[in-house]
Amino acid sequence: MIEAPEIEAKLLDFVQREVFAPDAGVTPETDLISAGFDSMSLVRVLLFVETTYGFWLPQSELNAAALQNIRSLATTVARLLHER
Amino acid sequence: MLGFDHELRRHGFAGNNCQIVLELAGTISAAALRDRLAQLANEFPILNARPGGVIHPRWRVPREAAPPVVRVHQHESGIEERLLNEPLDVAQGELARFDLIEISGARTRLAFTWAHALMDAPGAEELLSLVGQVPPPVSSLASAPACSPAGGGACSTKTGEGAGPTTPPLRQRLNTAWKSLHHLDKFCEVKPQSIGTRHPSAAAKLHYQTVRFTAEETAAARAHATRLCGLLGDAQFHATVSLCELHKLRARLGCASPSYVLPVPVGLRPKGRIEPVFSNQLSMLLVQLFPAQLGSVADAVAAFQPQLEHALRSGLIESGRTLAELFRFLPLPIYVFMVKQGLRGEIGSLFFGDTAAVNPKLTHFLGVPVEEFTHVAAITPSPGLGVIFYYFRGLLRLTVVHSARVFTKVEADEFTTSLRARLLAP
Repeated sequence: MIEAPEIEAKLLDFVQREVFAPDAGVTPETDLISAGFDSMSLVRVLLFVETTYGFWLPQSELNAAALQNIRSLATTVARLLHER
Repeated sequence: MLGFDHELRRHGFAGNNCQIVLELAGTISAAALRDRLAQLANEFPILNARPGGVIHPRWRVPREAAPPVVRVHQHESGIEERLLNEPLDVAQGELARFDLIEISGARTRLAFTWAHALMDAPGAEELLSLVGQVPPPVSSLASAPACSPAGGGACSTKTGEGAGPTTPPLRQRLNTAWKSLHHLDKFCEVKPQSIGTRHPSAAAKLHYQTVRFTAEETAAARAHATRLCGLLGDAQFHATVSLCELHKLRARLGCASPSYVLPVPVGLRPKGRIEPVFSNQLSMLLVQLFPAQLGSVADAVAAFQPQLEHALRSGLIESGRTLAELFRFLPLPIYVFMVKQGLRGEIGSLFFGDTAAVNPKLTHFLGVPVEEFTHVAAITPSPGLGVIFYYFRGLLRLTVVHSARVFTKVEADEFTTSLRARLLAP
C-alpha cells in the first residue's frame, strides 16, 4: 500500500519541477493558492496523479481543504487509493 | 508578434497595443518619471528595440536606448481611448509610452501603453511596480534577463517552465510543433465563420469599457465559478460565459458561426516568478465549441474542460510554444502571408485574457496611492472583440474591447451588459 508520506514526496517533487519556480520555496505546508496555484496548475497535478496512480481525482474531492497544501492533497490521494 | 505588428501597422491599427491605466490619488512629477525611465532604458535597451532583418523577421536592440516618452495631458472625455488608438512607432523603437492625464482635484491617471511584442500583462504589471517603486530598487530588474521581444523562446531556455539545459534536435521540434498544426486541422472540419466578413476589412478605432464588480458581486461570481467549474475554476467560468454571450450576440445579429474557437492563453511563468519581464511567457490553447454547447454555461463548461485536459495530456502547450519558436525562422513574406490569412479567417472568435490577481506590489506609483487599475487587451480587426478579466484587490474587473468597424457601440454595450448579468446569474 502506498502511504501518504510517499505520495507527498512525489507530489512535492512534481510541483517543484513543473509548477513552481525553484526559488519559490514550496514545502508540504505551503498554501498552494496563495503561492499562485491556479486552474492550469491543478489540471497538471491531476494528470500527474492519473499517470502515477492510475485514477483521476473526482471533482467532489477537490475542495479548499484538500488543496490547501501538498500534504493535504497527498492525504486525499492516499485515502482514495486505499478505498479503491 | 512581428507578423501581427507588420500587418497591423500597415493599416495604422493599434490593435497590438496593450494598455494599463492607473488611477492615482494625487499628482506625480513627470520629471521624476522621466528620470526613472532614463535609468531603466540605460539598463535595458530592449525598451528601444525595433524590427529588423530582410529575409527573416527579427528585432534589433540598440546599444543605447532612448527612454519611453512621457507626455502630460489635461483630462478630457475619451482621452484614454484616443491614447490607446495612437499606434506606437515600433519602427523607430517606440515599444512603450507613458501618458499622464491630470484630472481636476489633484488626481492623475497614468495610461501606460505598450506593444504586446515587448511583454505580456504580468511583465507589464511588474515593470510598472518597479518603475513606480520609491525608492527605486538598487538594481531595477537585474534579476530579469532582457530577452528579445516577440517570443518567450529565448527566455525559456534561461528560466521559466519547461526550460531544459539543451535545445532538442530540429526533427524532434518539428514533430512537437506538428501536433499544433494537426490540432488546428481538426477545427477546420467545422470551420468557424469570421465575423470580419460582415464588415469591410479595414481597421478601425478601438473602444473599450470596464465593468467593476463590488465585493458582493465578486463573491457571487466566484461562487458560481466554483459551483460550475470547481475550485480554481474562475478563468474557465469567465471563458465559457464570454463564449455563450458572444454566440447569443452573433445569433441576434444574424451571423452566428457554426463553431467558435477560443484561444486560451496559458501562462508559462513558473508560479512565484515574474521574471523575465520583457517577454511573452504564454502559449495559446485552442478550444472549439459549437452552438449546441453554448446554450447554457453548464453545457459550455462540460465541453470546455475535456478539451483542456486533452490539450495537456497530448502536450499541446509545448507544441504551441515550439511552433511559435520555429515560425520565427520563416522568411518574412511567408510569415506575413500566413498572418494575413489568419486575420481573414477566424483564428479566434473572441480575444480572451484572464490575468487573475493584479500584481500586489502595485499599491503606490512614485509614492502616490493607486486607487484603481484597468487592463486593456490587444485585439485584431477580426474578430474585433476581446474580453480581459482580472482581480484588483480581490474585486473582479473586466474590460471589453471592440473594433468600431465590426461592432457598433450599441452591440458592444449589449454584449457587456449581458456578460455582466450572466456572470452573476449563469
